[in-house]
Amino acid sequence: MSLGFVNPALLWGLLAAAIPLAIHLFFRRRPRPIPFPAIDFILRARRETQRRLRLRKVLLFAARTLLLAAVAAAIARPRAEQPGAPALAAASGPRATAIVLDASGSMRYRLDGRALFERARADALGALAGLTPEEPATALVCGSEPPAAEPPGFDRAQVRRVLERAEATAAHSDLTACVAAAVRVLGSAKAQEGLPKRLVVATDLAAHAWRLDVPPPAVEGPGGGARRPEVTILDAARGSPLPNHGIVGLEAEPDPAAGPRGFKLTAVLANHAEAPLKDAPLSLVVGTGPEAKTAIRAFADLPANGTVRKSLLHAFPQGGPAVVRVALPEDGLADDDSRALALIVPREVRALVVDGAPSPVKYRDEAYFVDSALASPASPVHPRLVDAEAFPKEDLSKVDVIFLLNVRSVGSRADELRKFVEDGGGLFISLGDQVDPDQYARELGALLPMRLHVEKTADGHGSAGGEGHPARFAEVAFDHPALSIFQGEAREGLLGARTWRYVLARPLPGPGPAPRVLASFDDGAPALVEARRGKGRVLLFTSTADRDWTDWPIRTSFLPAMQRFAAFLAGSLEDRREAPALVGARWTLHLAEGEALTALVGPDGRERGRAELERGGLVESAPGVIELTPREPGLWQVKVQARGEERLEPRLAFAVSPDPRESDTRRLEPSELTAWFGGEGHARVEGQARAGTGKEIPLWSILLVLSLGAFLAEGLLLG
Amino acid sequence: MADPKRPLLDPAVLARLGTLKLRVRAITEGVLSGLHRSPHHGQSVEFAEHKEYTPGDEIRHIDWKAYGKFDRYYVKKYEQETNLRAYLVVDASGSMGYRGDPSRLTKLEYASALAASLAFLLVRQQDAAGLVVVAGQVQRAVPPRAAASHLGTLVDALETVQPGGPTRLAAAVDWVIEHAPRRSSVLVFSDLMDPEERVLRKLAQLGRRKHEVTLFHVLDRAELEFPFDDPTLFLSMEDDRQVEAHGRDVRKGYLDVVTRWLDEARRIAAEADVDYALCRTERPLEEVLLPFLARREASAA
Repeated sequence: MSLGFVNPALLWGLLAAAIPLAIHLFFRRRPRPIPFPAIDFILRARRETQRRLRLRKVLLFAARTLLLAAVAAAIARPRAEQPGAPALAAASGPRATAIVLDASGSMRYRLDGRALFERARADALGALAGLTPEEPATALVCGSEPPAAEPPGFDRAQVRRVLERAEATAAHSDLTACVAAAVRVLGSAKAQEGLPKRLVVATDLAAHAWRLDVPPPAVEGPGGGARRPEVTILDAARGSPLPNHGIVGLEAEPDPAAGPRGFKLTAVLANHAEAPLKDAPLSLVVGTGPEAKTAIRAFADLPANGTVRKSLLHAFPQGGPAVVRVALPEDGLADDDSRALALIVPREVRALVVDGAPSPVKYRDEAYFVDSALASPASPVHPRLVDAEAFPKEDLSKVDVIFLLNVRSVGSRADELRKFVEDGGGLFISLGDQVDPDQYARELGALLPMRLHVEKTADGHGSAGGEGHPARFAEVAFDHPALSIFQGEAREGLLGARTWRYVLARPLPGPGPAPRVLASFDDGAPALVEARRGKGRVLLFTSTADRDWTDWPIRTSFLPAMQRFAAFLAGSLEDRREAPALVGARWTLHLAEGEALTALVGPDGRERGRAELERGGLVESAPGVIELTPREPGLWQVKVQARGEERLEPRLAFAVSPDPRESDTRRLEPSELTAWFGGEGHARVEGQARAGTGKEIPLWSILLVLSLGAFLAEGLLLG
Repeated sequence: MADPKRPLLDPAVLARLGTLKLRVRAITEGVLSGLHRSPHHGQSVEFAEHKEYTPGDEIRHIDWKAYGKFDRYYVKKYEQETNLRAYLVVDASGSMGYRGDPSRLTKLEYASALAASLAFLLVRQQDAAGLVVVAGQVQRAVPPRAAASHLGTLVDALETVQPGGPTRLAAAVDWVIEHAPRRSSVLVFSDLMDPEERVLRKLAQLGRRKHEVTLFHVLDRAELEFPFDDPTLFLSMEDDRQVEAHGRDVRKGYLDVVTRWLDEARRIAAEADVDYALCRTERPLEEVLLPFLARREASAA
């Protein structure tokens, strides 16, 4: 027997039961002082009637409290639910019993105001209570942890403790594996070999938790033969369908179409119900805490038992760490109705473009294509274009990246340029007819990723008709942050670029950090080479940034590539966030130097101190590297202490996603499950209340009668 | 209920009369019609009448001259001038200062009015009236005298009495026993709110010494009906005690206690041959005085 409420939110009304007490405590009338001669008689009368009066007062108080509490509770519409027939044990002699309690994410589904997990726990405890004293029992909680249980024993309190302390996780659990583990445990007790085995599984019958394509569990008998255990499935959903919609995926990628710092957020919405969901409101919330605001309100149509992708465009007002949350209206399973994402919005990059071969004809200008690419709408880069002659006058402290495009010489600023890079600045170098490799070696030798050698002209360029065999990019490092955006068909725009002339480059002699060739031409000559110099980066393109030696500038890949190069050289691309972790999976935090983790603020807003986190499995595997296992889905914020100050560090915030498999709450047919366990002779499903085997008793009418009784009693006591 | 024919006997009217003297005049004028001469006959110098001798009469009172004239025995009877000595014992404890309604007399004022009126009536018929004012102890005592001028002394004494202190009627009883040499009438005016539970037994001692004791039990209506409905802090009028109670909760118990107390007072008074009269301060004084006078006359006849 379990208790449920049709309107559990109205249980707040029970606070009204405290009104009589509050009146008694706070609104007591002050007695009026009156001189009176017969005070002895009052004392005597009070002494004689004190017990009766006290009893009357207590009864009156109880009647009033009961009246209010019963009315408030009746409004919440309570009802007692009686599962089919929990007394399974007495029928056929003692058996060794293993109780499996499903603690997976779908068990957090709230049906009629009560979580399925609570119903399942009550069912499991009922099954335990129904065992006879000579039946050994054990319990196994099937959650995010690997299934483990003690062999069946007679310590009921221990088994009850296991069930009572269990909590439903948001993670996926494999009930097939849990049942197999329970059966193994049943067979492990040699002393109980002669006893029949029984398995009780309290679950919601969610199909995703079962793998019915594997052999059913069986216990090895004393003679070596396998015996199927008797299985009782306690259906926590009481036969009800569990319709659920949720967000099962969320991705964010920069989208220039959304404007500067624009992102396209793509949510995968699933509807696991027999009816389609029309015009479901979908909202995008940006920020956390009091600063959170709903940026987009949209609607989505979700087909029955299907998924749909919905993209939302949002431009962030500023760069840096950001948090977004996409939400659907809350339903029975609230965990998957919203999904958070922590991302890094590219910061604004200030670029200085030095034009080594200016021309009054735009498309012949050396910097025209680069400048256009960097200055295009939605670009995070703010370029400033100067001629090579003007470069010496520029203040390098005001820029993040410098593009040297076919510049003959940097002259006296070579040292300054080297210091700029070593202090963290970015340098992009493209070549051309103005570049003298020997002079570059003298001026920029310390910065160049490779030593420049000689120009090489590919076959066919300049011949009649322009036909020939120009060089193309090959062996592109698409895993590099600057080139990772070229996926699928987008790679064609890069690989299709033709180059007729380029400068051959050789590795620098002597020790030092090896440069990384991001792309080479199809003859193996380096095309794009990256090197680190001090805190900064240098990227060398061995051909021109205009159309003199290559047609890359007029290819579709040129514009995003230049923007990504600028961002990469400025250091903002490496702040890329890892994909959200699944609940129950390991997550690693990389603290900056001088930072110490003090607490995590969970999705529920509760702060978990370091000690509590360490009890939950947090370890610092290396200085500043912290590994932990978040068990609740949502956004986790990290509180660190740095320079004597404690603060929430937005850079470290991370999102944890519920397991999308748990969003699929479609249920198995009981007959499928019983058939897998060996047919109705071995297994049965109980708790199909709505199917007619159990019953629900409405309690609100009893409460109303009780309140009427309390009202009459109050009247009698007052009279 | 005030008698419309005798408005001056209404306590509410009396309460508006400023002094005790005025109250006494108003009362005695109202009740004088019922007053008779002293029914007590004694050895006075003033001849009253002849009475035919019957066995048992004093032989020395036979009028021999009348025998010689009528040849029959007659006995001379004399009217006694001061044949009664009355002690008016007035309880002036703190509890006597109570009145449940500002328009009513306090119990002490009511008792004083009664005592003064009776003193007037007694002195008027040459009975001697004395006064004993008692609270924790005897506060004031005026020996009985029958002179008309004595009435002023008594009224003045009563008028200056202020309620205060505990009740201890036993002190008055002891005083009367000590100072009354022969049979006297003792009229006690009290609410009997005496911490000494056996106060009525003490009064009975006077009866055993041949004194004629009359108890005027003066109580206010509020003490008898307990008309309190709200949470009330009751303050004792004779000491520092106080008790908080909800009037509605304790009323029934209080009335039971008061009823038992009154019944017991009447029973003990009857057993001790003490004439008992319950005086409610809202009732006209004649309702107390006339029955008392009638009883006295009847008992003396």
